[in-house]
Amino acid sequence: MAVVLVFLCAFFSIVTHTEKSAGPADAARQLAERMAGGGTILLVGRGSDEDREFVTGVGAALRKRGLEVVGEVVGEPRDAREALERLAREGKKLGFIGATAEAAEWTVLQEAATRFPALGAPRMVIPVGVRWPTFLTRQNLLNVANQIAVVAILAVGMTIVIISGGIDLSVGSLIALSAVGVTVLIRDWAGATAAGAGELFLCSLAGVMACAGIGLVSGGLVALFRVPPFIATLAVMQVASGVAFMIARGGSIYEVPDGFTWLGRGADFLGIPNAVLLMLGLYGGTHFFMTRTVLGRWVYAVGGNATAARLAGLNVPLVLLFAYAFCGAMAGLGGVVQASQLKSGAPTYGAMYELYAIAAVVVGGTSLSGGEGRVFGTLIGALIIAVIQNGMNLTNVESYSQRVVLGLVILGAVLLDMLKKRDWRWLTRLWRADPGRL
Amino acid sequence: MIRSHRRFLSLVLAAVALIPCAAPSASPRKARIGVSLLTLTNPFFRDLGDAMKEEGAKCGFEVSVNSGEFDAARQRNQVADFIVQKVGAIVLSPCDSKAIVTAIADANKAGIPVFTVDIAALGSGAKVVSHVATDNLGGGRLAAQALIEALGGKGRVAILDHPEVESVILRTKGFDEELARQKAENGVTMQVVARLPGGATKDKSFKAAEDLLQAHPDLNGIFAINDPSALGAVAALEKAGRLAQVKIVGFDGMPEGKQAIKNGQIYADPIQFPDRIGRTAVQTIRKYLQGDDVEAQILIPTALYRKADADKDSSLKK
Repeated sequence: MAVVLVFLCAFFSIVTHTEKSAGPADAARQLAERMAGGGTILLVGRGSDEDREFVTGVGAALRKRGLEVVGEVVGEPRDAREALERLAREGKKLGFIGATAEAAEWTVLQEAATRFPALGAPRMVIPVGVRWPTFLTRQNLLNVANQIAVVAILAVGMTIVIISGGIDLSVGSLIALSAVGVTVLIRDWAGATAAGAGELFLCSLAGVMACAGIGLVSGGLVALFRVPPFIATLAVMQVASGVAFMIARGGSIYEVPDGFTWLGRGADFLGIPNAVLLMLGLYGGTHFFMTRTVLGRWVYAVGGNATAARLAGLNVPLVLLFAYAFCGAMAGLGGVVQASQLKSGAPTYGAMYELYAIAAVVVGGTSLSGGEGRVFGTLIGALIIAVIQNGMNLTNVESYSQRVVLGLVILGAVLLDMLKKRDWRWLTRLWRADPGRL
Repeated sequence: MIRSHRRFLSLVLAAVALIPCAAPSASPRKARIGVSLLTLTNPFFRDLGDAMKEEGAKCGFEVSVNSGEFDAARQRNQVADFIVQKVGAIVLSPCDSKAIVTAIADANKAGIPVFTVDIAALGSGAKVVSHVATDNLGGGRLAAQALIEALGGKGRVAILDHPEVESVILRTKGFDEELARQKAENGVTMQVVARLPGGATKDKSFKAAEDLLQAHPDLNGIFAINDPSALGAVAALEKAGRLAQVKIVGFDGMPEGKQAIKNGQIYADPIQFPDRIGRTAVQTIRKYLQGDDVEAQILIPTALYRKADADKDSSLKK
């Protein structure tokens, strides 16, 4: 599966290859070359930190070389127009406009020569930077990881349930329930926007524990009453979603303090989003649990053959109860992250997420019939889905086609995995056309 | 196995590095506009998106239309991807008016202007350059005029309401204001005898209208705040065999609603113009990029659509 992920990354890197703005030093050199014959320059950038750095950096470098910088604009097209008007009023002549690639899209700059004839005929110069894939920028890669964090956290719980031979359809609804429950608790119990960090933690913990409890109920239905997992969790899915709508009274809850967004939007360690760190931590921990602890190995045994496991003396109900409770807790945690990212809770969150989580697990090589699978495989599966979605957004594929492509890629990835596991000779067997064996 | 993976990886990296570099050019790119609508399954938003693409092509913009499909998290991801692409402007109709605020704040920080269409963002800490939407207050006034016209200014009417939504509150407010004005100035005696929640859906409005007919056997008219509500009321009246006695005025101008107007089941609709909303939004972006001042809110008026208009409408079935 890792091959598929690398291939997708490479593909989107090639497709999103575009020119990036030059750094301040390099840009100043290019502009100075163009201005060798004399003249004045106005520097323009959009209102981002990056552009501000560009404009002030280039301005300082050009002044140092003794060139005349008549203005620096960082902001909106309107600011650029005002600067041009001011220069025209003062009777200044403008030789050049130095702009970042983004500000160069502004029509006010493109039409400066015709709209402000008093300035002379300023020429726009866009310093040329290196070409680099938009997909492979640091910000975008963090985006990909951040966007999939919630589904990936769901999928780690789902992996355990599927390895145990079951399935959990309720995780999407649990996201909504947890998000709504936690935000309502913050609003009504912790003092709304005045809530402190400790209270936020307690509210979030309550949400996670409640979802773990609901997972325990699903597990009980499956383990003790022998209800098929599909049916048991389908019922829980309906109940959880309905309760979420009841608690929220249909609307969204947004009376939460700014500090609540720390988990979903903060990035304290090396600029990596906290949600991504949480996700990685959970995968590491679960991988250790599934490969190195007794209970983890029992999950494989129960999923492989529940009867054999029971006869071998394993506590099968305990394993199932644990698997569903863990899955519920992960869904609850996913709901907290979702609410934190969106700074609000609404009962519509998480719709269809159970299907994305199941897709991530299956693409990651875990068998739906239970007993085999790897936790890190699921992480790769989740990343494949995230990369496809992100890549298609970057290449402007429209919504309808996105779903078709996503479905086909999931299918392709699973087929590839099946082929790899099977003996390739089945193909040659087909050629021999032995009707008795087909 | 591992070695073959590694070889594959190095091949890929080499391919990425070897992509031919274009000659340095100083010509500006076309401005790209990233759009994320509420949904593309509703004809209203489809028309809006198509109009934006069309108008964008005329203005020399590259417009890509996406939708959040009612999922606030998905819409947030789409905005994040627009920011990475460094688009020239972002246009949104929020899936959740409050949850979208954090995404708009991120776009603001990246220096990208944000515009909203049809649905506004609510909350502090984020700057929206301009909001383009239907004039719902004016539309409510038109609805009152239509119902007064249908009933000759007399009779007892009910409202199928859905007060959870801002735009609907404006519609009923416009309706009440116009009715009060006409009462004072033109001697209209029509009065509102009931307001029931219709959930803005066909099935809930059907039940609400049935209850309404039980409670007010002498009802003469219904103002339904959108087409699905109006069609629900039509179904209830047909079931009760009273469609001829009770006049209905809807809102929206969806194809199904227009067809009902043609069939004489609904008297009239103040219709919305999603295509005009889309075109106006793109024109506003063009004005903004030219450095001109743009209005913070632009309202697109509705127009009354009666049977005479429906008979001339070539998009409807006979």
